[in-house]
Amino acid sequence: MTTRRTFVIRLIAASGLAWAVSGGTALAQGAKPVRIGFSIAKTGIFAAAAPSQLNAYELWREQVNARGGMEIGKEKRPVEFVMYDDQSNPAQAAKIYEKLITDDKVELLLAPWGTPMHVAVAPVLERLRFPMVGNTAASVKVRELKPGNIWFTTAAIPDRIGRELAAMLKANGVKSAALLTNVLPFGKEIKGYLEPALKRAGIEIKVNEEYPPDVKDMTAMLARVKQAAPDAVLALSYPGDSALYVRQAKELGIGARFQFVMIGPAMDFFPKALGSAANDIVTVGEWSPARNARAKGFHAAYVAKFKEKPDYLDSALAYMSCEILEQAVKSAGLDKTRLREAISKGSFETINGTVRFKGVENALTKTGFLQLQSGEPQLVWPAAEATAKFRPKTSW
Amino acid sequence: MIETLASGQLLFAALAAGATYALVALGLNLVYGTMRLLNVAHGDLVMLGGYAAYWCFTLAGVSPLVSLAGIALAAAALGSAAYYGLFRRMLGASATAARLESNSLLLFFGVSIIVQNAAALAFTATPRGYQYLAEVHHFGNIALTGNRLAALLVAAALLAAILAFLRLHIFGLALRGLIEHREGAAVVGVDIDRVQHASFALGFGSAAVAGALLSMTEQVSPFTGFPYTIAAFVVVIMGGLGSIGGGMLAALLLGLLETYGVALTSSNYRSILLYGVFVLVLLTRPQGLFGRRAIVR
Repeated sequence: MTTRRTFVIRLIAASGLAWAVSGGTALAQGAKPVRIGFSIAKTGIFAAAAPSQLNAYELWREQVNARGGMEIGKEKRPVEFVMYDDQSNPAQAAKIYEKLITDDKVELLLAPWGTPMHVAVAPVLERLRFPMVGNTAASVKVRELKPGNIWFTTAAIPDRIGRELAAMLKANGVKSAALLTNVLPFGKEIKGYLEPALKRAGIEIKVNEEYPPDVKDMTAMLARVKQAAPDAVLALSYPGDSALYVRQAKELGIGARFQFVMIGPAMDFFPKALGSAANDIVTVGEWSPARNARAKGFHAAYVAKFKEKPDYLDSALAYMSCEILEQAVKSAGLDKTRLREAISKGSFETINGTVRFKGVENALTKTGFLQLQSGEPQLVWPAAEATAKFRPKTSW
Repeated sequence: MIETLASGQLLFAALAAGATYALVALGLNLVYGTMRLLNVAHGDLVMLGGYAAYWCFTLAGVSPLVSLAGIALAAAALGSAAYYGLFRRMLGASATAARLESNSLLLFFGVSIIVQNAAALAFTATPRGYQYLAEVHHFGNIALTGNRLAALLVAAALLAAILAFLRLHIFGLALRGLIEHREGAAVVGVDIDRVQHASFALGFGSAAVAGALLSMTEQVSPFTGFPYTIAAFVVVIMGGLGSIGGGMLAALLLGLLETYGVALTSSNYRSILLYGVFVLVLLTRPQGLFGRRAIVR
């Protein structure tokens, strides 16, 4: 079944279904649009995650064009997107970026969704010497990428998450934890750093289980957690199973006062689908609209345009990469060598404060955690940047 | 450990999973049983049913347990349209009927891609979920979320009603007759066209109902259907293609296996357990647990 499906999908893709759509709005007569290319997971396993990123891109394009376009040297040019569906397939993404550069001859690039795509696209960028500011990729593996043509805006790198989460647990008096890990790469990688960090912090791991991404029921696993009654539950989960965890933990009445759910709670659908059960859940995220005026403006514009809140993780990261690209182009123009210089050495004002790169990594943004408080994600860690204090979860 | 196994909590989880699988697989089995059409877009009907319930609830505040009826009718109408628009002529002509089983696979595959992408275009791929009957009830030491319990009860009632219809009503008997022996049914005067039409409508309708029920307990997105197609195929093949009651028992068995198997081992063994038993059944009883050997066509 699966192979036939994949085969047919490929067949269709190969026959040019890839729906190159330029979303450009016709703007000021005369100025030639800047064509910015990217691939995005419109279909396939990552499709549910990609809209938060694509929405941020579209919002940015609309705002830039409303300002008259991107400043390049002395002129302003409207932004036009060249977008393809990569079907959540890294190999396909790599092919698309090669085509964008060599065939479509786009002038700039934005990033695809997710770590596997970024890692697949990086060699193409390196070979064709084309700089791209990445966003939604988080793996210590990205540090192995040769710096120079790709950068990452995120601070949610697994080793840093492991360290910071253990520190936050300790600071809140947690002595024992249950660790539930979805076996997808990001979860497993975090687990690899979190386990030793917990040990160092003197936190006993009472339950330590892994589960497959297509899990449909957690009753058995959560019954074991309930029996062990740990101070904290750390679910290294993805949006689908994050919601499943919350529903079934509520059903069984898991009473841990610190509950961490990795990916999902920062997304708009989460509190809507789960109501009060999602309250006081801690999750990965280092951004909040309270960060600065830009952040507030971004949040308001996003809500006005899409009638939902941005994803505090991915939408923010994607928008930051657009801001960085815009500022770098303003100072360096479209010449790739100068642009590369500008991104590597420059310092940029973003919705998450000032960003500067060291190698491929964002050197300034601190790894943080959000907590859903009355449906609103609040930054609760690191303490110095918190917008609210951590609240123990006392009810469902 | 023993406490958990004997607690009833797991039994509830197993029954809930089993009933869902049974309802999803029922429609696939009907359409395959009566016409030998492999509907790989079946899961996408589940997805559409989920969206319908979601929109009815969030836009109009209609309870999914109420909108269920309308959703079933709309999906049945869609099944009718698919039957008359895509398959009736092919089923009628002997030249195309012989190749229909494999052709239907490709045809439905195309339908599946179109439906998924149309849904992505119309609703975006953002997962959608809502709160309905989300409070937890306690019976002894078992905790049940209202919506899971409601989904289980509705699914069980529907399955029982459909099973009774197939065993007791004359039209249901005709349908079973067609499943068992197409030519024989025609000889004794079964209106094949009408029965085929009804299977399509019932098959599509029950899938959408399953989707509406599932939307109470999990999020729906344009690509959530495919795993249900796979699950339905496993259930139907394990129970015996075309054996309606067999499919239901196989679904229950899978639900039990999944829940208790995971409880005894680890969540990571779920797929190994499910497909392991599936392969074992196919090796020992290729016609399925309740299927008949050598069906004459």
